[in-house]
Amino acid sequence: MSHAALTDIADDLLDAALEKERRLMDWFRARGSALVGFSGGVDSAYLACAAVEALGGDRVLAVIGRSASYPAEQWARAREVADAFGVPVLEVDTDELNDPRYAANPTNRCYFCKTELWSVLAPIAAERGLAVVVDGTNADDLGDYRPGARAAKEREVASPLAELGFTKDDVRRLSRARGIPTWSQPSSPCLSSRIPYGTSVTADRLREIEAAERAVRALGVRGDLRVRHHGPLARVELGEAELEAWLAPARQEALRDAVTSAGFTRVALDLRGFRSGSLNVLGGVAAAAEGTA
Amino acid sequence: MSAESLEAALRAEGIDCVVEERERLAVIVPGPRGLDLSSVELRRRALALLPAHGFTHLALELLPPPPERAAGTDSAAERGAPLPRP
Repeated sequence: MSHAALTDIADDLLDAALEKERRLMDWFRARGSALVGFSGGVDSAYLACAAVEALGGDRVLAVIGRSASYPAEQWARAREVADAFGVPVLEVDTDELNDPRYAANPTNRCYFCKTELWSVLAPIAAERGLAVVVDGTNADDLGDYRPGARAAKEREVASPLAELGFTKDDVRRLSRARGIPTWSQPSSPCLSSRIPYGTSVTADRLREIEAAERAVRALGVRGDLRVRHHGPLARVELGEAELEAWLAPARQEALRDAVTSAGFTRVALDLRGFRSGSLNVLGGVAAAAEGTA
Repeated sequence: MSAESLEAALRAEGIDCVVEERERLAVIVPGPRGLDLSSVELRRRALALLPAHGFTHLALELLPPPPERAAGTDSAAERGAPLPRP
């Protein structure tokens, strides 16, 4: 296919996404004000910026729920986006780890996390007179196993991106067009998603995972990365190109040292590489049901 | 699920290792000469073996360099002990 033809396709896709964006702006304006659940991920970053453009900064509040399962790196990215795009931010602490139903790490763990999150955020919206609470769920998410969506529905949290048919690609394309730095950021689910179902989620395990991923990033690893927690063994999932590079015997030692520096005693490199929902497969959770990781 | 049968199948592909079973994750513990699995084709063949032996995931353990291994690690293969079998 010629460069011109590819450019035409890219232009068409951007046009289609821009049409969805126009409807998103209308959606926000029809409601008048909004509280955005803001993690600093690709979707919520775009949504918060779009909300501010549609409504103005005085009628939008982006709320970051901070907890042990929320990576510090992502918090920093959320603040960076908010500062750059004039998004008003409130930070609150959430404590899902204190809920034994969450800490036991059942397959519907995300339900208990989101229940905690929305039970903190919904009253903030009410107190401040914000008309609607929204999250960054997009249309692609609807086919995944996402128990958290049920918690959102129970608290009447709206998902305009999903409602208006935005795919992840749409969100990335529009984010890029707006200069939002998250456009190329890998998906970044919470740290608990690295712990196999049935293995309890603890603050220590989350710290190990976060430190290991940070150490691997410091080696220059880009793109998708997950350090999966299997007790003393860390199973590292990398994107395809990185996997190829780090399987070279000469580089394995550096990767191993990085991960063991976080407290793991054994390190294994997954030979299939990164897979969203990897632990769903390992845990035998039905696909296309509800929180991929 | 059988680590022993997967191990035999991997050896038949030229992958000299011990397989440790962790539920449906199979961990390849390389032999003393180490393993080079950087070939995409070899990895494909190894991954294709998993379903027949009841596994969904395959990972290569990255062992410490020999002097550190001699000092002892948690790896069953390094301990010289038989790996746990179901």
